Parts: sequence; C-alpha cells; structure tokens
Amino acid sequence: MALLAAALGGCGSIGASAGDFTPARPGVLTVATSAVPSPGFWEGTAAHPTDGFEYELARALARRFGLDRVAVRIVHFHRIVRGHLGGADVAIDLLTPTSEREASLDFSGPYLRSVPTVLVRAGTAVPDLKTAQELRWGAIQSTTFVETIEDSIVPEEEAVLYDGQQEVVAALEAGRIEATLLDLPLAVAIAARSGGRLEAVAQLPEKEALAVAMPKGSPNRQAVDSAIRALAADGTIEDLLEEWVGSEAANAESAIPLLHTTLH
Amino acid sequence: MTIPTLTPLLAGIELKSPGGATWEFLILFLVVIIGPPLMTRARVPGIIGLLVGGFVIGPYGLNLIGAGNTTVPDLGQLGLLYLMFVAGVELDLALIRSHRRAVVTYGVLTFALPMLFGTLIGLALGWIPAAALLLGALLSSHTLLPYPTARAAGLSADRGVATAVGATVLTDTAALVVLAAVSGTQVAGGSPASIAAQIVLGLAVLVAFTMVALPRLARLAFRYLGTDRVVRYLLAVASFLAAGTVADVFGIEPIVGAFFAGLALNRLVPNEGPLMDRIDFFGSAVFVPIFLVSVGLLLDPGVMVEGETLKLAGLFVLASLAGKAASAGIARLALGYSGPQATLMLGLTVPQAAATLAATIVGFDIGLFDQSVVNAALVLILVSIVVGTLLVDRSVPTVPSPEAGLRVGSRILVVLTDPGQARLAFGLAARIAAADGGVVRGMLAAPAGEMAALEARLAELQAAGYAAGVDAEARLLVHHSLVPAVVDTATEGRASLVILGAATTADASLLGSDAEAIAAGLPVPVAVLLGSGAEPREVEVVREAADRPGGGAFDADGLAIDLGRRIGGADVEANDLVPESLQPPRPGLLRIMPVTSWQLLAGPADPGTTSAVLLLPDL
Repeated sequence: MALLAAALGGCGSIGASAGDFTPARPGVLTVATSAVPSPGFWEGTAAHPTDGFEYELARALARRFGLDRVAVRIVHFHRIVRGHLGGADVAIDLLTPTSEREASLDFSGPYLRSVPTVLVRAGTAVPDLKTAQELRWGAIQSTTFVETIEDSIVPEEEAVLYDGQQEVVAALEAGRIEATLLDLPLAVAIAARSGGRLEAVAQLPEKEALAVAMPKGSPNRQAVDSAIRALAADGTIEDLLEEWVGSEAANAESAIPLLHTTLH
Repeated sequence: MTIPTLTPLLAGIELKSPGGATWEFLILFLVVIIGPPLMTRARVPGIIGLLVGGFVIGPYGLNLIGAGNTTVPDLGQLGLLYLMFVAGVELDLALIRSHRRAVVTYGVLTFALPMLFGTLIGLALGWIPAAALLLGALLSSHTLLPYPTARAAGLSADRGVATAVGATVLTDTAALVVLAAVSGTQVAGGSPASIAAQIVLGLAVLVAFTMVALPRLARLAFRYLGTDRVVRYLLAVASFLAAGTVADVFGIEPIVGAFFAGLALNRLVPNEGPLMDRIDFFGSAVFVPIFLVSVGLLLDPGVMVEGETLKLAGLFVLASLAGKAASAGIARLALGYSGPQATLMLGLTVPQAAATLAATIVGFDIGLFDQSVVNAALVLILVSIVVGTLLVDRSVPTVPSPEAGLRVGSRILVVLTDPGQARLAFGLAARIAAADGGVVRGMLAAPAGEMAALEARLAELQAAGYAAGVDAEARLLVHHSLVPAVVDTATEGRASLVILGAATTADASLLGSDAEAIAAGLPVPVAVLLGSGAEPREVEVVREAADRPGGGAFDADGLAIDLGRRIGGADVEANDLVPESLQPPRPGLLRIMPVTSWQLLAGPADPGTTSAVLLLPDL
C-alpha cells in the first residue's frame, strides 16, 4: 500500500489528464496584479514582491506546472478586467468573475469565496443601512464593489472612485471618504495592520467568488482550473490563507456583523 | 381610477430582473420537470435530459446559473451522496448470497478487465499513475439503470440477472476503494507510508462504523425515535451523512462512506418497504436530479467537440465496452450461462452512471482531471446508457422466466386480532424476512362493527413493529368475513407468507377453520402463531407424523425447518412428533410444527405468555 501511495503520490508535475500549461516565457509563470504591497496578499514591493497569499498561490501554481519561477507584472486593475494582462499568463488580483469580465477574460474556478466587507475609520459605527447610506463612500474603479455600493447600499452621495487599493485606503485614513468596500480577508488584514486606525465593521449578505484570470481564449484555462481545484483539495489554499492572512480573517465571517442592504 | 391617474403610478413601478436563490431553484426544478419527459419522448433515457438541461441553464448554455454559483453544486454534492447511498441500500443482498460463486467470479471479471483496460489507456496517454488508475476505476463500475426492465419482465430471480446485480456490489465497492486510495494520495499530505496508513486505517474505521456500529445505532434509533415516518426518513439521511463524515475525516471521499452506509442499512430498509419508498421518492424527485443537473453544468459543447475530447471519449467507450463484453463472454463459458443470459448480463453491467460520475467528479475536484476528461466521461455515460438499455430491451424477451418461486421471507403479511401479540409476531416475522431482505406488513383484523375501538389500538401495533425493526406501517383490515379479507389482501400484496395471530388456544380453535380456508385460498404458506409473550430464546421444530396420509401443497417439514433456522439459527434441527409436542412448550421456547386439519381444530396446548407455537397448516 505504501509503495502504491508512493507511486500515486510521487509526481512532480501533473500529467496530461489535468490539462497542459504552456507559459508565455519558458520556465516562468508570469503573473499580473494591480497592487504590491497589498497586506497579506502581496508583500514586498512592486519591484520585488517577496511573499503573501496570492504570491505564494502563484508559486504553488508554478511548481505544479513544473516552472522554475514566478515573474510579477503590475498592471492597472481597470486594464486587467478589460483583458489586458501585459503579456502575463495569468492575473491573480482578488478578481471576481462577472459576465462582463468573462467577455474579455477566462477564469479558473474560485480559489476563495469572499463577502464584501465595510472598512471604516475606527469609531465609525455602521449598525444599519440608513447609517451606511449617510456615509461618504469610496471604491476602487472597475471593481464589482462600485456596483455593489450603488445597488445594494444606495448612498446619499455618489461614491468616489480611486485608481487602486493604496489610494482608497489612504483616502479613508485621511478622512476624504468615510467607508469603502473590500474583500473580507483583505479588509481584515488592512484593519489589523492599521494600528487601530481602521476597522472592518460590517459584511454584506452576498458572496463573491475570487478566481485566477487568463487572457480570453487562453490554452491554459483547463490546466489552471485543474490546478486551483487540486490546491483547494489538498489544503494548500487553506494553509496559505492561514499563514498570510491569519486565522482572524478566516474566522471573521462569523465575527463581523451583517449589514442588511436594499437587495436583501 | 382613470388612465391618466394610473399612468404616473405605473411609471413608478420598478421591476428587477429575476435572480437569487428563488430564481435558481425555479430554473433547477423546471429542468427536472421538463428534461426527462422530453428525452423520453425522443426515446432517449430521461437521465440524459437532466444532463442536457444542466448544460442549457449552465455557464456554457444560457448562463442562468453562472460559473460562480455555489448553491447548485453544493446541492449536487448532497445528491451524489444520496445516489451512492441508494445504490447501496437497494441492492438485493439475498440474491447475491444465493449465487455467491457466480457473483464473485463475474464481479471480479467485470471489475478487473475494464479497470485494466482503462489504466493501460491512461498510461498510454501519458497520464500520471493516479489519474490512469482513477480512469480504470471509473470504467470498471456500473449502475443497474436497466434493472427495472428485467425486474418488470419477471427476471429478477434469473441466475444471470442475480449475478449481474450481485457483481454490482463488488465492482462499485472495489471502484470506490480505488477512488479512496487515489484521492487519498492526492489530497493527504505526508510520506507515502503515512498516507497509506491513513487510507488503510480510514477504510478499517469506515467498515467498522458502517457494518458494525451503524446498523446497531440505526436499529436503536428506529426503535426509540423512529415511530414518526419523517424521523425514520431523516435517520436514514443522517446515517449516510454520518458515514460520509467518518470517511471525510480520514481523507476518503464521502461518497465511499455513503455507499457503505447503504450496504449497512440494506437489511433495515427493505426494497419494498415504505421507508425505501420515501427514500426513492425524495431521491428521484429532488436530490439525484439536482446532482445530474449540476453535472450538466460542466458540459461544455466547445470542449466536447474538440478532437482531444472525442478521442478520449472513443477510448473510454472502447475500453469500457470491451472490458464488460469480455467479462460477459468469459462468464458465459466459465459459468454456463446461455447466450441471451450473457447478453442480458452485459446490458445490465454496461451502463455507467452513479459510481462513474462520482469518480469523474472527484477526479475533477481534486484536479486530476480537466474538463476534457469530464466531458469525455459524460459521452461515455450517454453511450453506455443507450447501449445497455438497447441490449437489455432486446435480450429480455429471449430469456425464459425462472421457475423459482417467491422467497418465503420476501413479503410477509401479519394479520392479528389481538395487538398484544404484535411484539412476538413482528419479531418473528422480521427474522424470517431478514434472510430475504423482505418486508413485513402488519394488519389488525377489525370486524366491521369494531373498527372504531380497534383503530385506537393500531398505535400498539405500530410501536411493536418499530420496536422489532419492522419497516411496516400497520393498518386496519376491516372485514365482514376474515377469510376473504385476508385472502384478498394477501393476493393483492403478493404476500409470500401469511402469519395469522391467535393469542389463546380458544382463539386458535376458532381461527382453525379460518386458517384452513385461508390456506386453501392462497398459493403461499400460511402460519398460525399462538402466544403473546416476548420473543423466544430457543426454537424447536417438530416433524410431521410419518404415517400422515397424503400431503399438502407445500413441503411443510421443509418450510418448518427453514423458518426454524431463520428464527433460531443454523443449528436448529427437526424432531419427531411425540406426545409432548402437543403439550405447552417450556418458557422461552418457540415450537414450529406442521399441523393437520384436526390438530388445528382441536387447538394445541396453550403457550400462554411465556412461550409460543407456530403452526403450519398442511392441508
């Protein structure tokens, strides 16, 4: 049995049954993302990412495909969702598959399921929808959160749009906006690293899938899709989440109160 | 209101496009309602309607249920567990036992050959060993989809059909064990030795839980909690979820646990009983169709018509059909089946659905298989179902109906006049039925004028039935005359044995003539049960007097010893009729004896509440 287990388990890269991966650059998995650093998800600098959940996820993918290393390209989020990955094989950037995005991108199955979470300055309470509607909201342009704020929260003032994560968090800290929506693990991680200045105070009653994106028509879709399922099944994704985002984020879903919105 | 007044009101109405869980469930149930009949009209099996329906509403069709949807896949997972549980629970274990050698031979062949062919094809395609073995496993299992056709033709007792049914237990169990091993190596971390130890330990714990603990727990739960039919159903569902959880804890796919739970509860949930009826109903109405629709969501025509997918599908079909056909051919030569029997066996074992889908989806979920493999497996499933159905349809008319009669324990009708006998009667009936995986139906005879009074006592019968582990919902048998009522009910219910209760000898004397008349009116054995005590601790079988003239329609001595061994165990032997045989049995003893007409009318010794007598009128 042990011999059988060794024979079955001892494989460096996956075979043809799970789809073949052909990288744009031989031996390298090129990954597009919009923000480095992004607490818990991409650590290091834009020029030299070091680790983080999504970076390690990319490395796990590269190992499965038998590739030597990961190269990171910083691409604006609104360009990524329009299908421009800057020549990268995949984009890993907390991307939610939507029918609009599927017109210009292919997606793997989800590697995480997340709920939109309200991030505010410490001391701002958001106990109900009415309070939420009175706040000044900000969001990263081209994200699904823009639509969520417009449709589910319907604030009195139109949400202010920012280019990226750093900008929206900076605006929140500076008081230019009073609330923003982010994916739950990211919101919790940013709050945890803000030194008590920011707080994740409410989650919306809707779940979003986060998936790896590829250029439309990519021949690598099946291989990436199989790889994500394999990494979920063998516990790699859960371990990475625990390591880089922390158990606080993993358990936050039950700890953060629910905000009932107009659609629910 | 005038139109000008209404216009601004109407203009203010905002309609939103349908969405959310309600919309998804509506779409899902519409597919379940419409898909199968549409396909059936086109002479295509209904299961294909569900797969195609899933594609139509899925991300590669109309995208009514998108790729990120979790509700349908989650429900589909539950449906898959349900499907595997039902596959285990509805197998006829009695048939398997009676054709043990043939079942083992054919089971090994029909598992090993497709497994070998599939594994070789996987390796030839350059797949890693785990993926190749999983392909072998998915080709080696089969689902008895056309079995109802053979059963409806009266062929369920045919040696070939029984062998094919029995082989299903072996093939599906073996395929699921391979699946457990393969997924365990892919999912569990650690050294090969620790992974192997985990799988072996997991399988051992799972077998112990399902085969030892679960039947006992279920019996206890049925006895103390299961008087409510909803609770009985939920206990069955909880059983396979518990077994699935135990499997999951050890890194073994939960479907393996669900299938084992089905085998474990096989005896407690007879195929023709009301609980099985409910399990079947909810399974075929909701859970299994939703699973099939959720599989259909993965159907991608773009992938399906790709050369790679078609090549894979062709190889899968070839390996599966060649393996199954070679197995049937070898079995025909080695075990002496006729040509039509071998064709029927092939038709029954070709269709691939439950375990194949399970293995495919698990392979997909753990990243061993990509969408091409899934779509190729779906093509295999479609082809195998069509081929299997055609083979069975064509061979059924050419296989002669077996002469073997109804097994005595398959459908037992217990008719009591005194609810005080219920515990004893149901206890004995349950033991007689167990060997055949049969059902027990309980009735309280109520003369037309006493209906109201006896209706109130029906609950006693019900409780006693549940306490004995009998899955029967007791009813009143309202009658103007007991004899025709029992004959009609037994005939209508195709009873295999009728047990008439008589608590005292006085009742027995009165019942004697009725029992004779009932026995004369039925083509199946009738037994008269005397006594109202607890279940006996020992069994005595009394042989008929050697000088008895003539003989009845049945071998009463043979039946007596058969019933004696079913109740008391294999050690029970028959004794000669001696004067003491007509005396009250000692406490704790059940005496089974064939009796002639005069013995019935005279009324044998009263066993009271400490012992029991089972009389078999031999007319």
